[in-house]
Amino acid sequence: MGAAGSKLEKALGDQFPEGERYFGLENFGNTCYCNSVLQALYFCVPFREQLLDYYANNKNIGDAEENLLTCLADLFTQISSQKKKTGVIAPKRFVQRLKKQNELFRSYMHQDAHEFLNFLLNELVDILEKETQAAKSDPETSSPTEKTANGPKNGQLNGVRKEPLVTWVHTNFQGILTNETKCLRCETVTARDETFFDLSLDIEQNSSITSCLKNFSSTETLNAEDKFFCDKCCSLQEAQKRMKIKKPPHILVIHLKRFKYIEQLGRYKKLSYRVVFPLELKLSNTVEDADIEYSLFAVVVHVGSGPNHGHYVSLVKSHNHWLFFDDENVEMIDESAVQTFFGSAQEYSSNTDHGYILFYESLGASNKS
Amino acid sequence: MINPANGMISTSSAAANAQSPGLKTYFKTPEGRYKLHYEKTHPSGLLHYAHGKTVTQVTIANLKDKPAPSTPPAPPSSFSASSGVRSAAARLLGTGNGSRALGFVGGNGGSKSLSGSSRIGSLGASSSSSSIINTNFDGKGTYIIFNVGDAIFISDLNSQDKDPIKSIHFSNSNPVCHAFDQDAKDGHDLLIGLNSGDVYSVSLRQQLQDVGKKLVGAHHYNKDGSVNNGRCASIAWVPGGDGAFVVAHADGNLYVYEKSKDGAGDSSFPVIKDQTQFSVAHARYSKSNPIARWHICQGPINSISFSTDGTHLATVGRDGYLRVFDYSKEQLICGGKSYYGALLCCAWSMDGKYILTGGEDDLVQVWSMEDRKVVAWGEGHNSWVSGVAFDSYWSSPNSDGTGETVMYRFGSVGQDTRLLLWDLEMDEIVVPLRRGPPGGSPTFSTGSQSAHWDNVPVGTLQPAPSMRDVPKLSPLVAHRIHTEPLSGVIFTQESVLTVCREGHIKIWMRPGFAESQSSNNSETLLSTSSKEKPLLSSKVGSSSYRQ
Repeated sequence: MGAAGSKLEKALGDQFPEGERYFGLENFGNTCYCNSVLQALYFCVPFREQLLDYYANNKNIGDAEENLLTCLADLFTQISSQKKKTGVIAPKRFVQRLKKQNELFRSYMHQDAHEFLNFLLNELVDILEKETQAAKSDPETSSPTEKTANGPKNGQLNGVRKEPLVTWVHTNFQGILTNETKCLRCETVTARDETFFDLSLDIEQNSSITSCLKNFSSTETLNAEDKFFCDKCCSLQEAQKRMKIKKPPHILVIHLKRFKYIEQLGRYKKLSYRVVFPLELKLSNTVEDADIEYSLFAVVVHVGSGPNHGHYVSLVKSHNHWLFFDDENVEMIDESAVQTFFGSAQEYSSNTDHGYILFYESLGASNKS
Repeated sequence: MINPANGMISTSSAAANAQSPGLKTYFKTPEGRYKLHYEKTHPSGLLHYAHGKTVTQVTIANLKDKPAPSTPPAPPSSFSASSGVRSAAARLLGTGNGSRALGFVGGNGGSKSLSGSSRIGSLGASSSSSSIINTNFDGKGTYIIFNVGDAIFISDLNSQDKDPIKSIHFSNSNPVCHAFDQDAKDGHDLLIGLNSGDVYSVSLRQQLQDVGKKLVGAHHYNKDGSVNNGRCASIAWVPGGDGAFVVAHADGNLYVYEKSKDGAGDSSFPVIKDQTQFSVAHARYSKSNPIARWHICQGPINSISFSTDGTHLATVGRDGYLRVFDYSKEQLICGGKSYYGALLCCAWSMDGKYILTGGEDDLVQVWSMEDRKVVAWGEGHNSWVSGVAFDSYWSSPNSDGTGETVMYRFGSVGQDTRLLLWDLEMDEIVVPLRRGPPGGSPTFSTGSQSAHWDNVPVGTLQPAPSMRDVPKLSPLVAHRIHTEPLSGVIFTQESVLTVCREGHIKIWMRPGFAESQSSNNSETLLSTSSKEKPLLSSKVGSSSYRQ
């Protein structure tokens, strides 16, 4: 383990980014689902920085009880404050807390990395919201989570008067989808907004993420058994429905639905389809032609042929270097190696390493006008 | 909770799209059916080795009689041409390779591929058997050169044999790109670039005559990556360049070589001062190879392409930029960025007016040299676009009219395993109303006349256009033709050739050709052979006794 660390240091040489730490995470029996996602989140720099900031500002609040947020912040602080540049850390407290918190993750079974990510982000939001409420009732301490960058449109469009709390988790990951339904009789368009932390995409063999996103937003006709209740017509009507991205998130998380329930088999099956993902991406299915460019910075990879077993690893881009995290091992890889994780063009292939969750960060500048 | 949207979208039928077992053996277009004529592949044992490591590229090599470049069509003068052939043959025999050359003739079933062909009919009274021998002896014909794993394979384009007639294995590294010059003056007409950066030039004919599995008579450049150890990404002869060729490497550098100069030179180049800027450095010693280094961009160059006349060189790369250079002036003229992601391939129109590019944004981009900008985006691929080509043999149905609307036909292949064909009629492409620069009035421009670039200095690269600013094209047809992601497309006079990454090649006969071509002979063979054949057969036919 120590040797692997020094090997990485040697590989990076004087290009080792200052202040950066590359630490493997120990596996506590099938906790690779957790390790792979934690590495992706650690190298999601705005998220990491805001978590560490938050932790630094709130540490002294009466030694609050331990929760997933404090455990995650502890872990990240532990990594970032290591004296050595590389090595291995045991995320013991975090994993224990996770198992205590959610019975789903308690067993030693193979877990789904996407489910874990989803659970973690929602849990963090819950904790922050509770703290804010507590802070409101106690006006002495003002929380930094209060209304950071609350978009002016949000409140009204959701049709809810109560202003939703926007935490730093939201400012990083939250986007807004709008679900447009057009009644084919009266042609009224009903739009309903929903927030999301990630997009789950159906995949097809030999396709691209761009194509999967297009399919996600393609128009769907509601008819026969599946008609739409039009408020204007006051009856069930045929309608057209489509989903567009109204507010693209800063961090775009794309989950590929590689685990599909096959009715004939009565069980889940892993789709090993080859789905290519570019290192840069623009969203074509936005409400406005925003042309916002995203850059890929992390990939959680599922290794294995079935849904109930296998392994998770992650690829991470940090300071223009690509790194490969496999539990306690960390290696440097070439950018071109990313394409070996696209999937298999043929169903039966020896290649079982498939990109499963993609993390893109907005490059900010949109070339409007 | 937060994720309700995701649950609702699970209706699309991804499972239904699983591999359909039977691919069709034809595809329909408005002008008729393209029929699958031949398939070419390689010994299947190689597949596991090659998987994911290298991507198959294809080069078509038309081996002519020697000296080939200027064969006048008139019968009297073809005497001289054929005597040239004879002397070339004699030379080959005299080099000590003679017996092996003939072994090659026998081993490849030359007589089978030619017997009963329409060509022999056209020869008139001459002895058919003698013409057969000579043709194969000379290695004349059209060949497909493709790389898979650690080998280069050569197949006869016009034979129904699936398996290659020749394989060349490389022990040091995998071959990844190649190019052929059918007008090469001396013997070396084939270039091969390796993953290690090494480059070889050889004579294709000599390889065909050799029975071994190694490269013979090669010049070796950039040995063991001594000049540049980045993967060879793309290699090309300079059209009319008198034996000059260029090699683009994965580190963003391109080197110019001259095959007349020593392969094992010791050229050294100064350190690149600014990695982000285009710069050219010339070798200090005029006798060594390579003679120049062009630093083009940061990160890999993925593909290069010369305009037909050799004046312009286009490059595309990982950074998403198309760059167009004036080759002799060593100057960057223009270029622009993809919508997003890397560009993977590029190709010129025959007249040098347009460049096609394809890349990771799933778009086929049409770049106009006149406008110095993207004039159309072709939308239709479901994955990355890995091969583009103009169909230079295509003539639009109404081209005999006024000639004002020039229609171009082009094709593209992608990692979605599909071939798309497109028609480009420039008069129909109208750039939507643009918001000009601040203060400027909105302008309406068409592809054929535009003054936008007048104030753009030479060598300026355009940023990625906005989605709403570029006119969109829809494909004429889109067909799934392979089971594996595709890597290239080539148009020939009588066919369209498609190749997948794993090294399976399909040759689709154009409508009209497929019906008449029941034999193994194609139009190119007919056209080249009918000129010289009668004489050849009578003169060099003396070797027929060996049959």
